[in-house]
Amino acid sequence: MLTETTKEIKDILGYRELLRNLVVRDIKVRYKRSILGFLWVMLNPLLMMVVFYLVFSSLFQRTVHNYIAYVITGITVWHLYAQSTSRATRAFFESANILKKKALPRSIFPLSMVVSAVVNFLFSLVPMYIILIVSGASPLKGALQYLPICILLILTFTYGVSLLLSTVTVFFHDTIYIYEVLLLALMYLSAIFYPVQILPEGSMVVVNLNPLYHYINLFRACVYDSTLNPEVHLFYSSVYAFASILVGWTVYFTNRQRIVFYL
Amino acid sequence: MSEKEVIKLDNVGVRYILQKERPRTLQEYFISLFKGGNHRKTTEEFWALRGINLTVRRGEALGIIGHNGAGKSTLLKVISGVIPPAEGKVEVRGNISPIIDIGAGFAPDLTGLENIYLGASVLGMSRREIQKRIPKILEFSELGEFINAPIRSYSTGMVARLGFSIAVEVDPDILIIDEVLAVGDQQFKRKCLKRISEFKERGVTILFVSHNITDVARLCDNILWLRQGRIHRYGEAREVAQEFFRQTGGPSRSGQRER
Repeated sequence: MLTETTKEIKDILGYRELLRNLVVRDIKVRYKRSILGFLWVMLNPLLMMVVFYLVFSSLFQRTVHNYIAYVITGITVWHLYAQSTSRATRAFFESANILKKKALPRSIFPLSMVVSAVVNFLFSLVPMYIILIVSGASPLKGALQYLPICILLILTFTYGVSLLLSTVTVFFHDTIYIYEVLLLALMYLSAIFYPVQILPEGSMVVVNLNPLYHYINLFRACVYDSTLNPEVHLFYSSVYAFASILVGWTVYFTNRQRIVFYL
Repeated sequence: MSEKEVIKLDNVGVRYILQKERPRTLQEYFISLFKGGNHRKTTEEFWALRGINLTVRRGEALGIIGHNGAGKSTLLKVISGVIPPAEGKVEVRGNISPIIDIGAGFAPDLTGLENIYLGASVLGMSRREIQKRIPKILEFSELGEFINAPIRSYSTGMVARLGFSIAVEVDPDILIIDEVLAVGDQQFKRKCLKRISEFKERGVTILFVSHNITDVARLCDNILWLRQGRIHRYGEAREVAQEFFRQTGGPSRSGQRER
């Protein structure tokens, strides 16, 4: 499996122009018919933040030191994860006509979904930093040195989940709909718009089991929140990223030859 | 495999699981689990190809004919490595360029030009190679200013022309042509056949699938005639074509009119 894995990675590098074009296709097609186009990448998290702020700020403002900063950072990370993985459920179906014609490293298709979410993520960092500064958070006080590893771990985790979902969906179409519900539940469990302190005591065991909680908080620790302990979240984040890519790759790898038969 | 051989199939078989019979949703899957013994029966096997032995030499043009469902496309898929054989061995030397048939891999919302990048990169070309070949692709496709329009506004013939123009610019060792010539107009078809002959002269190996036996006989050295997943006849092109016409009642009318 190891030699085959390195071969597939090499193949993906050989097909990097395809990867680029898949990402371009993804981004262009999505915004081609809208007036504001790519601006929506930056507008969407801002509007979501406004909604959360209007609904919840009076509730949580006293527990959370800088509520706007808290929410916008949560949303930004959440979007990266949610966008890649929910699109990835359809990764092989959407490219069925390519997969049926040409022998390719198939893992490139879920990968392209993650990469296009990363492009969106990088653009959404602009409005996020503006909000951080305007709201009085000081971005330089965060543990900035961990930011690259933080993003790398999020992406590793996300790609693992994407591989798992895209493969499983080929054999069980219901995965698409089940995952929609799971994603909603996960969003409510990820402490995006509420502080974990409001949860009943003893629930931290459950919260710690949620990878997204750690990725979001690690990200917050990196970009502004000096009250958080980045090392703890870094530990959990690494464990989950490793487990995710291991499971995702194994499931994809053992089934990859069968995928074409089911498209 | 000797030096001259580029494709070698040794007792190859491909098995499909019949689509309608297998559990598709989780619900059905669990039901079939609980039924226990019945679970096996829901997956019915079907051999799309069986016992295929075939050698193709470098520079050979092989025609593959047979009725719908005879296994022609499956044979191309197993040769190009899209699907693995369930039994037997497939050996291929060199890079394969499938002529992308109608719309495969193309994004309808993108322009023709953007789709050239996408289509060519599916075939494994690098960015620099694509940029270098774009003038030639544009010229061959004869799409003119339409190249900047989204291809959802194209006719089927125009899409096929674009697909063909990209595939012939890849410089493949093995060229796979699967029924694409059926959609273009006569003039473009002649141009394509001419280009295919040029490839042949340069020593490119060609696998040509078509229902137009006259075309196949004219272009190919050998013909492989498939029937129900097995080799029915294999031999020199003209002989197999005549045999085919004898068994199916002469050259089809449409075939004659196309001359």
